[in-house]
Amino acid sequence: MTESMDKTTAVMNLPRRDARDKLQGRTKYTVDAGGSDVLHAALLRSDVASARITRLDTSAALKMPGVQAIATAADAPGLHGLGIADHPVFADKVVRYHGEPLAVIAAETLAQARAAAKAIIIEYAELPKVLTMAEALSQDAPLVHPDWEDYEILFEGGNRSGNIAWQATVDRGDTDAAFARDDVTIVEGSYQVGRQNHVSFEPRAVVASFEDGRYHIHTSTQAPWTVKSVTAKVLGVPEAAVHVTVPAVGGGFGLKFDCSLEPYATILARKTGRSVSLVNSRKEEMMTCLCRENADIHIRSAVTKNGEIVGRDATVLMDCGAYGGEQVFLTTMTAHTLGGNYKLGSVRIRTKAVYTNTPPNGAFRACNGVYNTFALERHTDEICAAIGMDPFEFRRRTVVGDQDLGATGQVFEGNVLGPMLDQMVAKHPIGKRSDTLPDGRLYGRATTVGTWFIFVGPSAATVILNADASATLVTAGVEIGSGTMMQSLPQIVAANLGIHPDAVIVKTADTDAAGRDLGVGGGRTTVSIGAASEAACADVRDKLLEVASGLLQTKPDNLVLTAGRVEMKGRPGSGTTIRQVVQHAETTIGPISGSGAFTAPGVPAMPGCAAGHFIDAIDVPVFAVHDCEVAVDPVTGHVEILSYRLVQDVGRALNHRAIHGQIQGGVVQGIGYALTEEITINKNGAFDQTGFESYHLPLAGDVLPIEFELYEGAPSIGPLGTKGAGEVPILNVAATLGCAIANATDKKVNTLPLTPPRITALLEGRQNGSNLGHVARLRGGDKR
Amino acid sequence: MGVDFTLNGKPRSFAGDPRTSLLHALRDDFRLTGAKDVCGEGFCGACIIYVDGEPKTSCLLPVGALQGTEITTIEGIGNVDTLNPVQQAFIDFDVVQCGMCFPGMVMTLTHYLKDNPRPSRAEVKAALTGNICRCTGYERIIDAVMSLHNSASGEVRT
Amino acid sequence: MEQRFKYPPSVEDAVSALGDSAVLFAGGTWVMRAPLRDEDCEKTFISLAKIPELHLVSVNDAGVKIGALVTHHALAAISDVPEMTALVQAAGRSANPAIRRMATVGGNICAKDFAAADLVPALLALGAEVEVQSFEGAASLTLEDYLQTRSTRPSTEILTSIHIPRHSGRSAHARGLLRQAGEYPVANVSVYLEPDQNGAINAARIAVGSVESTPKRWHALEAAVSGQPFGRLSISDLAQSLTQEFTPRDGVDAPATYRLRILPRLVAQAFADAMGQLERSA
Ligand code: FES
Ligand code: FES
Repeated sequence: MTESMDKTTAVMNLPRRDARDKLQGRTKYTVDAGGSDVLHAALLRSDVASARITRLDTSAALKMPGVQAIATAADAPGLHGLGIADHPVFADKVVRYHGEPLAVIAAETLAQARAAAKAIIIEYAELPKVLTMAEALSQDAPLVHPDWEDYEILFEGGNRSGNIAWQATVDRGDTDAAFARDDVTIVEGSYQVGRQNHVSFEPRAVVASFEDGRYHIHTSTQAPWTVKSVTAKVLGVPEAAVHVTVPAVGGGFGLKFDCSLEPYATILARKTGRSVSLVNSRKEEMMTCLCRENADIHIRSAVTKNGEIVGRDATVLMDCGAYGGEQVFLTTMTAHTLGGNYKLGSVRIRTKAVYTNTPPNGAFRACNGVYNTFALERHTDEICAAIGMDPFEFRRRTVVGDQDLGATGQVFEGNVLGPMLDQMVAKHPIGKRSDTLPDGRLYGRATTVGTWFIFVGPSAATVILNADASATLVTAGVEIGSGTMMQSLPQIVAANLGIHPDAVIVKTADTDAAGRDLGVGGGRTTVSIGAASEAACADVRDKLLEVASGLLQTKPDNLVLTAGRVEMKGRPGSGTTIRQVVQHAETTIGPISGSGAFTAPGVPAMPGCAAGHFIDAIDVPVFAVHDCEVAVDPVTGHVEILSYRLVQDVGRALNHRAIHGQIQGGVVQGIGYALTEEITINKNGAFDQTGFESYHLPLAGDVLPIEFELYEGAPSIGPLGTKGAGEVPILNVAATLGCAIANATDKKVNTLPLTPPRITALLEGRQNGSNLGHVARLRGGDKR
Repeated sequence: MGVDFTLNGKPRSFAGDPRTSLLHALRDDFRLTGAKDVCGEGFCGACIIYVDGEPKTSCLLPVGALQGTEITTIEGIGNVDTLNPVQQAFIDFDVVQCGMCFPGMVMTLTHYLKDNPRPSRAEVKAALTGNICRCTGYERIIDAVMSLHNSASGEVRT
Repeated sequence: MEQRFKYPPSVEDAVSALGDSAVLFAGGTWVMRAPLRDEDCEKTFISLAKIPELHLVSVNDAGVKIGALVTHHALAAISDVPEMTALVQAAGRSANPAIRRMATVGGNICAKDFAAADLVPALLALGAEVEVQSFEGAASLTLEDYLQTRSTRPSTEILTSIHIPRHSGRSAHARGLLRQAGEYPVANVSVYLEPDQNGAINAARIAVGSVESTPKRWHALEAAVSGQPFGRLSISDLAQSLTQEFTPRDGVDAPATYRLRILPRLVAQAFADAMGQLERSA
């Protein structure tokens, strides 16, 4: 940071510039694009989970009224994926999940396209299927991908075999020796969690066209550059032939972090020469959601009576569904949650992404961090019970601090979690953890900690300083609702250039204008795009001050940018306006613009600790402390949340009010995950919850105001010391509610979600840990 | 022969299949895309419009049932330059996120506050039973609504 | 438009418009979701909206007559029939405000596959009768009898009105939900209680919805409580001891056992509410 700017000018409650149109119904999301010239597409999806396709005949459908084109596997032979290219665009000869696309039809109207989809003749020979991970890992289980060995490997290092799509491992220190010590208590627990659907209100949607020999994809995505490269790959065209633009996105939460419907519409646009719109119906969206995956977790710890965790051994099975997808990458993150939070003497973690004949899963706000934190914090409370130590005391002593080692041997900087815990209890001292309320309900309170990360990686930005002293920011960042593109980024650019954020124009994402970017998600926008923007601003500032220095006859070092002016340091009102300098520049060096870039700095891990990991250490750790009180009705199993508070590590808060919005919204999504949102997979391999009647999102009456405090000042490489604040609020919600409910009921809470029927089963002792033998079994025979 | 009604103050006619939902007619035929197609089953409220001044879910209303009615959509609430007090409060409290639920929120609350100018928090929540938001966690929406009758003068601003 | 959406001006015309390729259209909240249930949606809608008498509620000493097209919203606003509170509560708490403005009482009764209707148990507890019209003319029967024959009734019959006899007791409705509101109940209970001079229960009608696929009266529990003094009634235990009267259904929302588990609580809630009303009116 140079001294030619004042960081504090970036801090403000800037309102969002997109709110007005959104409130007036004038915003055009991808689902609102179109008009009478656009063709409508519909997918034909399989209604079996595992089968060989014996016949797929589109000839009758092609003759149906209004039908313009039909595409099938022959039109998109390429495979894509993360880590492994295992995913075809259309089921080709084999169907691997219920809902897998078989064909796509473009017609003049949606009704015509749907009618034609029904007229396609499809015949199957059903194959045996595996619907659970236990089945998939059982002896002689049918393989979801019999040809797994032939797939192209996109990232080296993962251990793979049969139905195990990917395995990531961590080995630090001698875990066996730690468990063999005679001064330790060994605590063991198994946990099982279900899937969570994002239910972004705008479904996945795309409008594609073929223009001047290139593909134009207008889409509801969080990751325009991923859409560009994946679409190019599966169509077998150069990336340069694909142009992606993104309007306002009606919610993402990770669902849209991958390429999804784009290739279908693109193929049809090429075939018809027309614009083609493809929008998932809500039912399709529910039934093929790239959910937060279901998982089976087993944790064992060796703990001394002083609360020192000398060894930890964990196995995590993540259901990736029929294709590897995001789960392959996310195997990496187990290390940093199950191996995070606490100081560990030694650690061994095995994380496997497992193929099943179920709809593929994906990324969802804080991903596996949410359930790994649930499992870890429940396990931690069980450790405390086993060694007879107060859970707060245990956490205060054991949380990671400055110079402590993470799971993969990275060295943490700064004491963050400890002071955050202190901040929580300073205001809300811990009294009882369990009680019976006068009305007969069971009271419980719990305090948990969480460790997550900001997903950084490459971003690019261009800043153009306009003649009127406004600035245009060009990045591939997308506004998905969190406000980052509307608030943090203009605030950062404005502070860097000494102008008001209202004078910062934010170009909507367009891969023809902006450089490569990994996408909006993982809390990375403020940090990665923000840092690239800041670098671009530095470039602009250098040029601007150089010109000003000539104009004002002083060295650039003596100048500051403030309130639209270039002034002599310490002399307010001196100098001239930025506008004048820009005008002058036109005659000397030409218009001023700058470009900037950012990528992950690559924090070192201990060599040899991690295998199959996409990142060996986390560049920006983020910490959270949550606390809640609940009342559980012993008859109905209803949980009322009496209070919910948190302390969140944000680095530096640029927009307090906007962060408040993210905390309230994120915690409520976590409440849904913990208490009401359930997905069950039936014997056909399909989800039972097909819409809003059966999938229970929290409503206004189910929530409460979240009390929060921000913890500022923890080290961060983010611009102005920021960390992303939008992803992490959900991180330990299920953990905190789970621990509080365990305290209230005095039962081993080890599954999610905790719906009223499941809580009553727990109270009746009917749900005492599902059968997780397969996880523990894996641990034994697997010490690679 | 079509179905005739008034749409945002102007006489309009719909000649398609009268069993078409008003939501689809609005979005596809009249190109009024402010009402959102989110759940299609009456639970989320993103598609709420007024029929003769009463909020209804347009996803479950066939156009055939609307002969002679007066329909108002979010686009008919004020104009480009004017916001109603509910919309203004949402801006003042910075509560909008992805925005998909807000057209419906505005319709429901604008109508509700007309008959119930000084509701309690719990009453506002009950009024929002059929308006789901996936992004905001609701409470700050309620804060904004409560501000409407907590103005300095104690006046109701709707 | 005539082809696919008809507005017969009278019940008789509506009856003659019905048939296999037509479907009655009342509030639309059930019919319009047919595609989501993968049902045939190519049927002609026969709207009853232009038949004025179907929109009426009339209250007199003999009883309350409710037209089939009266909405939940309108029922929830009825304030001058004190014994009808169960119905008012059921109407005012079901679904959500926008749906309550659309969904009708006739639709609530006639949707065969809708186990979780709220108005039906309330009407059962109030001893309602329904009037139907078909080619054979008008007929009336108790709602209880209607429900027993509901799945086999002719598709050319129209339920035109509901009749609730006036009574001196009080009633209440309780819903068992997984969230606070906005969903179909996993079980619901309506109770009507009439005291005698000595503070004992003279008559009780108790109806349960959503536990089985069709709402029904809980006759065994009614018999068990009648004649009991209000003061010493341990209603929750009594209900608990009689839950074998039900063959509960498993659903995506809740398992069968859960519906039964919360039933005594719902009965107790509705009883407490109705008894409170009786006390206040005494
Ligand atoms: S789309 Fe109509 S209520 Fe959800
Ligand atoms: S703001 Fe996104 S659904 Fe409400």
